[in-house]
Amino acid sequence: MIREITIGQYYPGKSVLHRLDPRMKLVLTFALIVVIFLCKSFLSLGLIALATVGAAALSKVPPKMILKSLKPIVIILIFTAILNIFYTQGGKTYFEWWEISITEKGVNTAIFTMIRIVCLVVISSLLTYTTTPTMLTDAIERLLSPLKVFKIKVHTLAMMMTLALRFIPTLIEEIDRIMNAQKARGADLETGGIIQRAKALVPIFIPLMVSSFRRAYELAFAMTCRCYTGGEGRTRMKQMKLAGRDFAALFVCVALTAGVIVLNIFFEAVI
Amino acid sequence: MSYAIEAVNLTHYYSKGTIQQVAAIENINLQINKGELVGIIGHTGSGKSTLISHFNGLLKPDSGKILVDGVDIHKDKETLRQSRFKVGLCFQYPEYQLFEETVYKDIAFGPKNMKLSESEIKERVFRAAAFVGVKPEHMEKSPFDLSGGEKRRVAIAGVMSMEPEVLIFDEPAAGLDPRGRKALINLIKEYRKQTGSTVIIVSHSMEDIAEMADKVIVMNKSSVAMQGTVDEVYSRGDELRSMGLNVPEITEIFAKLRAKGIDVPANVYTVEQGAEILRNLMGKGAAK
Repeated sequence: MIREITIGQYYPGKSVLHRLDPRMKLVLTFALIVVIFLCKSFLSLGLIALATVGAAALSKVPPKMILKSLKPIVIILIFTAILNIFYTQGGKTYFEWWEISITEKGVNTAIFTMIRIVCLVVISSLLTYTTTPTMLTDAIERLLSPLKVFKIKVHTLAMMMTLALRFIPTLIEEIDRIMNAQKARGADLETGGIIQRAKALVPIFIPLMVSSFRRAYELAFAMTCRCYTGGEGRTRMKQMKLAGRDFAALFVCVALTAGVIVLNIFFEAVI
Repeated sequence: MSYAIEAVNLTHYYSKGTIQQVAAIENINLQINKGELVGIIGHTGSGKSTLISHFNGLLKPDSGKILVDGVDIHKDKETLRQSRFKVGLCFQYPEYQLFEETVYKDIAFGPKNMKLSESEIKERVFRAAAFVGVKPEHMEKSPFDLSGGEKRRVAIAGVMSMEPEVLIFDEPAAGLDPRGRKALINLIKEYRKQTGSTVIIVSHSMEDIAEMADKVIVMNKSSVAMQGTVDEVYSRGDELRSMGLNVPEITEIFAKLRAKGIDVPANVYTVEQGAEILRNLMGKGAAK
């Protein structure tokens, strides 16, 4: 079961979205998330929804995978929809019984929030589908580099993040191996109460800790051997450079924002 | 009499049900007799490790059966549990599984899981420790304070203390220096002589296998490519090479000697054997 955990859900590809500068992608994703919250009418939200579908199509990530990213939030979606339907009142009444009534405004709000959440999740998943975790941390490092002024070690933080991400699959493999070794000695991990199960984890956890420390020491040693002294004066093999497509993406997002604002002004707000 | 281990049409897939589905092992049929020392060789990724993980039920076959002592180990939960103790599996780099505060407690982990009596556990722990050569004064030490070689001995004792009917070693000599390797091979041979139990060694060292095994199973591309005695398998050098395996260097040397017209046997697989033959040959020469 442990094999199925995937961290970072990069979907390899060569689409425009994959080739965008990760810094631009990160900034635009944040911007779009803010714009989603600016939407007030169905038309402006529709525009964003359209753009989301368009971006998904551009990314060439199979629709099945995008739908999979929505799976964990199904419960949240249903929950917010129900809450909205019953707690927002106003407009025409569709249904009334005892204390419960379903009104036009309630239904509208429910649909609106659902579309909004779906767009939110799809847009942020598109970022992780089209950007490797390493590229993302690189982008974060570059974007946060102005913080150096405040003596924050941005490079060190980014390096720690990169290393942590890099070692997740390795550690999963290690857990798998240790679990098998202890099961081979008759360790029972599946039955018993909560305390017994927690106790059963000790034979897994301790060897895992020991080997993580060993790996950390080895890695630090290997990095020192290659003259790693931190971010000072370090250059990069892959330089990030803004290209035409990045500015095109920026333009599209600015246009979307403008569109949303205009539609907000001229059409009736739902929320 | 039933076999120690029997595999019937054993198949196991990885990533089953997805596009990446691959057969790790496919349609394996084999029998291992009681008391036999069997070597399993194969290239990396040939399915050796997947195969042995089925022998004690760590992996469940997608189709086919594993019989230990004639009983299907996946018959019910209790049979599966018992199979873990009947078939001891010592993984590659077993020293990374150590976790207890003391060496004694770590070796006792297996027997304790078997729910044996306190006195029986103690007896077994000391027997296994003495056998692998863990010094009695080390028993109360932390296993993490021992040297690499000692750690491995403790870890092996941790599997031996369950006194399984079948003991499997996955690459037991990995990462050891020549002397450590030699000592370990002798240890395994001695274990088998003393207990008479079935032993299975997984390795890609043709020399190690030749030195110990009665029977050899060659895995290639998820299935059994050859099985037979050391002589039967090692005489098919060209086929072995096509599977990315090599006959031992000493065998190559003797083949070259034969090609030069020197009368030496073809079935030389270990350096000891080779030295013995050369010594005899030179003795004859001196007598002339």
